Amino acid sequence: MSVLLEVENVTMRFGGLVAVDDISFALDEGKVLAVIGPNGAGKSTLFNVITGVYKPTAGRVKFDGVDVTGMPSYEVVQLGIARTFQSSRLFSDLSVLDNVIIGMHTRTKASVLDVLFRPGVARREMEASVEKAEALLRATSGDLYEQRYRPAGTLAQADRRRLEITRALASEPKLLLLDEPSAGMDDTETDALVADIMRLRTERPELSVILIEHDMRVVQAFPERVLCIEYGKLIADDTFEAVRINPRVQEAYLGAAAHA
Amino acid sequence: MGGSASPAVPGAASAITTTILLQFGGAAFLYAILKADHGWQVLTLLGLLGFGFYLLERFPSLGDYATASLARVPAVTITVAAGIVLGFPFIVGSNTYILHLLIVAQLYAVLALALNFQLGSANIPNFATGASYGIGAYVSALLALNFGVSFWLTLPVAALAATLFGFIIGIPSMRTRDTYLALVTIAFGVVVHQLLNNFDWTGGPNGLVGIPAPTLFGHSFADPLYIFGWKLPSQANFYYLAAVLVVLAIVTANRLHNSRIGLAWNALRADEIAAKAQGINVAWYKVLAFAVDAFLAAFAGTIYAFYVSYISPDNFTFLVSVTIMTMVIVGGMDNIFGVIVGAFLLTILPEKLRAFSDYRLLFFGIVIIIFLMIRPQGLFPQRLRHYGGRK
Repeated sequence: MSVLLEVENVTMRFGGLVAVDDISFALDEGKVLAVIGPNGAGKSTLFNVITGVYKPTAGRVKFDGVDVTGMPSYEVVQLGIARTFQSSRLFSDLSVLDNVIIGMHTRTKASVLDVLFRPGVARREMEASVEKAEALLRATSGDLYEQRYRPAGTLAQADRRRLEITRALASEPKLLLLDEPSAGMDDTETDALVADIMRLRTERPELSVILIEHDMRVVQAFPERVLCIEYGKLIADDTFEAVRINPRVQEAYLGAAAHA
Repeated sequence: MGGSASPAVPGAASAITTTILLQFGGAAFLYAILKADHGWQVLTLLGLLGFGFYLLERFPSLGDYATASLARVPAVTITVAAGIVLGFPFIVGSNTYILHLLIVAQLYAVLALALNFQLGSANIPNFATGASYGIGAYVSALLALNFGVSFWLTLPVAALAATLFGFIIGIPSMRTRDTYLALVTIAFGVVVHQLLNNFDWTGGPNGLVGIPAPTLFGHSFADPLYIFGWKLPSQANFYYLAAVLVVLAIVTANRLHNSRIGLAWNALRADEIAAKAQGINVAWYKVLAFAVDAFLAAFAGTIYAFYVSYISPDNFTFLVSVTIMTMVIVGGMDNIFGVIVGAFLLTILPEKLRAFSDYRLLFFGIVIIIFLMIRPQGLFPQRLRHYGGRK
């Protein structure tokens, strides 16, 4: 089993604010990891550092043997890290299908010159992309596939989240980062989401997943490893059971008096 | 195919009929408005057009049916369109004024298509298209006047020079966005205009005079055109040349729109951060949009320079850029056909409203506002891409 992601002593400062404070952890291929912590703890910042949106103030990020610290985010995607956003960021005026095809951007090659002067080459590549995107949508849910020519902005919340995950998968990632996928979902939708992620893991055993979550129903479903962050610091890195009874975690969530 | 979201597909026969009727109807309307002299004629025609767009807005299925028909029989669509474009000068006859309007409208259609890559596809408000247009015109005119380079050779050279200019404005523009980006491009446009006005070798405010007419296989474009015994005025040469350029621009626009590049532009228009997260090099795609815009605009500039044979900085002011932008917005962002209609409407309308003499610009403004009230998304708004039309 090989190490896929290594985060080494990463610190991210914004002026006087330390959003991520000396965090280190590693993730193996095919593993799932949940990140919890109160609002503003630095979870999303950590994602942004891993995906190259921010260059960390100190520390290094290594992915698949390559140092990706401060690499622009579009190159990080090429290497195989895909993500979703806390507030879903779909291309809302484009169709569902186009959203997925755009997700394949790093896996397609046609250049401007190809498009203009070798239209056959570009068209064949586009046809292949359409086929692949339709297959991905069908695999996610037949319902989403039926809606493939609807503008993505008109989808229901649960479908939007599904589409965002499908779009991320379209880039053929080795590591999938999900930023609060259950946000704004009711219980049934959350259960469906958990089932989706479970199925994803059985279908793609080599895919690693990092999941930021507030909803303990979701975290509970992936109990093998949970990180807890508070004020930018890593305060726990263990199984769900161990983290749940960890006094520091309880303090972070419920305040100092809670475990007295 | 399920085709759940697609409208009722018309049968072949009705599609052919609709296609032919629509295209001849459009051509007849264009002819009528070009021929209209009196204020009331122009107003009646505009009223008719407005009513047509009102119906389209009210019953979107009409538009869906029309587009489905045109797409159903592409061979018929293209043949009829080609027939109309080729035949139009014969119907217009010796009326050089109408031919002139059509040439200018076609050049503006190319400029609007060029800007559409930025404004329509990628939502980059570039106010420097007029400058790229001017650079194309000046580079080719200077080459022809000073070095005797033929028109056909100046075309690619001018396009490359303007593309370089596109890169030059594109790169600093990447550091800004939205309103600030607009300001940067306005500044570039003004700088180019001022430079053209003040350099000696560009002729200063007097511009460049006596640009020779192009020749093709020994036929000078300044001579009348004889086709099958028909004599067409010399403007017909440029009419056909401009038509070729419009076709080229449409093919370019169409290929880019239906490729991963068009999708990448649309993605960064919708959400830049999400676009980056899909692996799109946003800065590069923005610069690319600047370059493609400048490339096509320079072609239009070259043809313009050789057509009027006299250019001055005042042909390429900030106002020209604003006009091109209005054409894209009124016609419909990211809709190739819409942008062309916008260009024709906004070129022909101010000329036709001359009947109202002093109130011309007032009427022009009112007409544009009314059309935007009827069709807030532009006359022909952008459409979702449809795939799998493997026929």
